Amino acid sequence: MADTGWPGCAKSLKGVILDLCGVLYDSGEGDGVAITGSIEAVKKLKASDLQLRFCTNETQATRDKFVAKLQRLGFDICVSEVFPPAPAAIAVLKERRLRPHLLVHDGLLPEFDSVDKTNPNCVIIGDAAEHFSYQNLNEAFRVLIGLEKPVLFSLGQGRYYKETDGLKLDVGVYMKALEYACDLKAEVIGKPSTTFFQSVLNDMGLQPHEALMIGDDLLNDVGGAQHCGMKGVQVRTGKYRPSDEMHPTVTADGTVDNLAQAVDMILNQRGQ
Amino acid sequence: MAGRRALKAVLIDLSGTLHIEDTAVPGAQDALNRLRQASVAVKFVTNTTKESKQNLLERLQHLNFNLHEKEIFTSLSAARSLLEQKQLRPLLLVEDSALEDFNGIDTLEPNSVVVGLAPDHFNYQTLNRAFRLILDGAPLIAIHKARYYKQKDGLALGPGPFVTGLEYATDCKATVVGKPEKSFFTQALTDVGCSPSEAVMIGDDARDDVGGAQNAGMLGILVKTGKYREGDENKINPPPHLTCDSFPDAVEHILQNLL
Repeated sequence: MADTGWPGCAKSLKGVILDLCGVLYDSGEGDGVAITGSIEAVKKLKASDLQLRFCTNETQATRDKFVAKLQRLGFDICVSEVFPPAPAAIAVLKERRLRPHLLVHDGLLPEFDSVDKTNPNCVIIGDAAEHFSYQNLNEAFRVLIGLEKPVLFSLGQGRYYKETDGLKLDVGVYMKALEYACDLKAEVIGKPSTTFFQSVLNDMGLQPHEALMIGDDLLNDVGGAQHCGMKGVQVRTGKYRPSDEMHPTVTADGTVDNLAQAVDMILNQRGQ
Repeated sequence: MAGRRALKAVLIDLSGTLHIEDTAVPGAQDALNRLRQASVAVKFVTNTTKESKQNLLERLQHLNFNLHEKEIFTSLSAARSLLEQKQLRPLLLVEDSALEDFNGIDTLEPNSVVVGLAPDHFNYQTLNRAFRLILDGAPLIAIHKARYYKQKDGLALGPGPFVTGLEYATDCKATVVGKPEKSFFTQALTDVGCSPSEAVMIGDDARDDVGGAQNAGMLGILVKTGKYREGDENKINPPPHLTCDSFPDAVEHILQNLL
């Protein structure tokens, strides 16, 4: 009989999806720092017979830029393996013929170079960090409140994340602020949206039950993956807080100290 | 009014109702004087968190309104009494101009967060600091949760969106002390000594002024000045007792129908 619990489920896995920030590395000044054992753990996964993808709500830089950063930190990772929200957002804009007002990090702007931004009829917010000033939020607010049918896209809906100098508010907080101000509901592009996870599964050609998500965010990584039909494992690194293990609605299939431990447990189960 | 007792108090919002920034609503000063000649108590209740009572008083007197400091009841007054009652040391996200209403309150090593309308403090660093305090257990006190307010050059975000964001980040609920909280309206009537059913509120914010007052048992009159936008009167249930063009019309209605 198939073992459906963690870590027994690892025997029948065909693919693993990893979150980046808080699992591979902690962001902060410069490139941030790799989390102990993670570089080696990614290597081991790549050497195994499992497919590997990276699914991130990273929106402070273009995909090329932050993949290059991860490579500098020592990770074996390439652009085509990484799924961030911005390219998915651009596809939605094209499909619905929308012109965005952008409240995103300067580092992300080049992703939108080819997008028509004149006379905006929607707003996209990403993790703009220090660009989340009163003035910039107000500008986004005024665009929305001036539209007959305001449309707000949020690249992720995270509450906070950890940088080397402490916890920082994430885009979800500002999404909620604008939702409240304009009395609307944002459309989330990125984790935990099922569409977003599904696009990664499609790329691997796998069914949800054949894949496992490992992340540090209980709601967006673990809860989102589980909602989509995957298993979700939480690491005790990054933004993890002990209270996550007593969450009223989301229970991880497994909780491990870090990525290295998760990968060793998976490969052990598979006799590799 | 059938089923209601005679009117004893009129609560009046300031910004957007009596004035918009440095301009009085036309006819508002005379209307206030006419109201004062009737036998009702008048109180000025405001969620204006940028300014201390003294600032508000000076601004309104400068616009030729006839009022006294003791007639003003603000959400800052309500916040201060909550801090004192719970002996909390706040991180104050309020404009410098409002700080005088917190004179004497200990703010060293804060163990609570007070959010008012503070464009200068609503930046990434300060909000992160507030967030970390709340995550460590500091209570979040919101002076009010207004969505937005009107400036000369257009609408601008109020404290509500930032409070909502912090609530979401920390999975906690703010204690709101200003309008539209029931406690705010009843506290404002304390020194008048009348019950909510003997009072009427006039304001430009359908939810916070009119909805809040009606929820506390008062009548609510919505004026179409300030932040009013077409259709606002349909956003609350029950609807406003009356919706009218501006403050002088509201006073006329009170003098003719409610006394």
